[in-house]
Amino acid sequence: MSKDEPDKSRGAMGRRELLKVISTVPAALVPLAADADQKIRRYPNPGAMPPKHVTAYRRQALDEHEWKTISMLSDLIIPADERSGSATQAGVPEFIDDWLAFQGGNLLAEIRGGLTWLDIECQRLFAHDFMDCSEAQKKQILNRIAYPGKAAPEDANAVAFFNHLSDLVVGGFFSSEMGVKDLPYLGNTMVADWQGCPANVIEKIQENEKKQKT
Amino acid sequence: MLIPPAQATGNLEIRCDAMAREVLVGPDGLASGISYIDKKTRREVQVRGKIVVLAAGCCDTARILLNSKSTLFPNGLANSSGLVGRYLMDTVGADGSVGFLPILMDLPPHNCDGVGGMHVYMPWWNYQKQLRHQMPFARGYHIEFGGGRRMPGPGILSGSQHFLGGGYGAELKRGCRKIFGAFVGFSSRGEMIPNDDSYCEIDKNVVDEWGIPVLKFHFKFSQDEVLQARHARETFQEIIVGAGGEVIRNPGPEENWGISKGGEIIHEVGAARMGADRKNSVLNSNCQAWDCSNLFITDAAPFVSNADKNPTLSIMALAWRTSEYIADQVKKQNI
Repeated sequence: MSKDEPDKSRGAMGRRELLKVISTVPAALVPLAADADQKIRRYPNPGAMPPKHVTAYRRQALDEHEWKTISMLSDLIIPADERSGSATQAGVPEFIDDWLAFQGGNLLAEIRGGLTWLDIECQRLFAHDFMDCSEAQKKQILNRIAYPGKAAPEDANAVAFFNHLSDLVVGGFFSSEMGVKDLPYLGNTMVADWQGCPANVIEKIQENEKKQKT
Repeated sequence: MLIPPAQATGNLEIRCDAMAREVLVGPDGLASGISYIDKKTRREVQVRGKIVVLAAGCCDTARILLNSKSTLFPNGLANSSGLVGRYLMDTVGADGSVGFLPILMDLPPHNCDGVGGMHVYMPWWNYQKQLRHQMPFARGYHIEFGGGRRMPGPGILSGSQHFLGGGYGAELKRGCRKIFGAFVGFSSRGEMIPNDDSYCEIDKNVVDEWGIPVLKFHFKFSQDEVLQARHARETFQEIIVGAGGEVIRNPGPEENWGISKGGEIIHEVGAARMGADRKNSVLNSNCQAWDCSNLFITDAAPFVSNADKNPTLSIMALAWRTSEYIADQVKKQNI
């Protein structure tokens, strides 16, 4: 599109985006067998592409203290384990900062307000900020707000904050390159010959079904 | 797909950036060409032709016809029946139902892409009941499925607390892996019955940036379509609950069963319908205008009904048939 042409594609994209959001693929968009006659387009293997020029991330929404607290919380929510790295290793704080800068408004206020509550509560209980807490103290306060069904009614706002932060960390991690490999998501690759649902998947579903009935 | 072979004949010229304004009509009442606005120069250009075929995309075809006013055709071209723009339809959609199905938890990783919609397509299954008048609505729908181990994007696994009870750390990470892929989305796509309240007409007060009057839309689903959407929602519920799952979202009566808005499913058809009688149709059975024998329409405007299937293949089949008819009529020197 040339520069002097206004972007009119937004309306149409909106509808396509909507279709994506509702997680259905209209039949018309599904590649059909008829396409198999055409040459399969091969996209370059990302691994074979020249390395991207990496520049240090510049914070946009969070201040230094908030950034450090979010980073610490991110790794408490998604730590490294035998299968993959931690949230900070996957770039989750960068994702959250960028998302908060983009969204601004209520979401930014909610996350900032939640972090402030966390520090005030830790000051009250332990006489220092969350980031200076011992592991046991961090667990003590997180256990209060990380289990919605068990939390005290007076902690409702803090629970809502933690839910939201946890969603951002989980979503940021599992949509990152590291998280996609962790799940693993195996799609977005060409299936030349569809063999049906794998037998081990069907077996597992049947096993789940049996368990559900008992 | 069809343009390259047409180009190969050497008889095709494509004009880009041409915004069709109206069909030109000669003193004999036959179509003589097209007037369009060249988007680059903003000047009017006229092209002449022995035959004019419109395929502007249903509504825009109706718009061009209604804008083609002349002393011979004061209400627009091919519109002696007054039906250009009328009986506009869209597919009936009920989108956004989601279920959490524990039987799909913790499945071995496998590639769910490449075959659309959870490997399942559910065609309409109640024809026999409808024939026996045992259904509260007349036409059918099919169900499209979504979800599974689909490509993760930001926001994936949001609300995991509801299914995992909350938590953090290694336990949460393991839980997220287990529920990834256990969500299934449901959408219905159904047939709308054309009605008098759904049509487009020229807006007398608004033009587009090329100075061409635009359309104004009127759209209303009848009770038939609403009951169809209701049936779809109740079916989704039945499937989710039957599989031992939990209904996460499924619009009910308070949202009018979440029936789509006209145009939302982007399957606009109708607006210049074909028929056996020139009094109640715009085109004859060969998609030839009753009022103007060298004018044809080969998009979705000739449709008199809108099956629950996507319309593109029907458009192409009709266009093919009309093309063969045109060739035959030219050979016989009828047009």
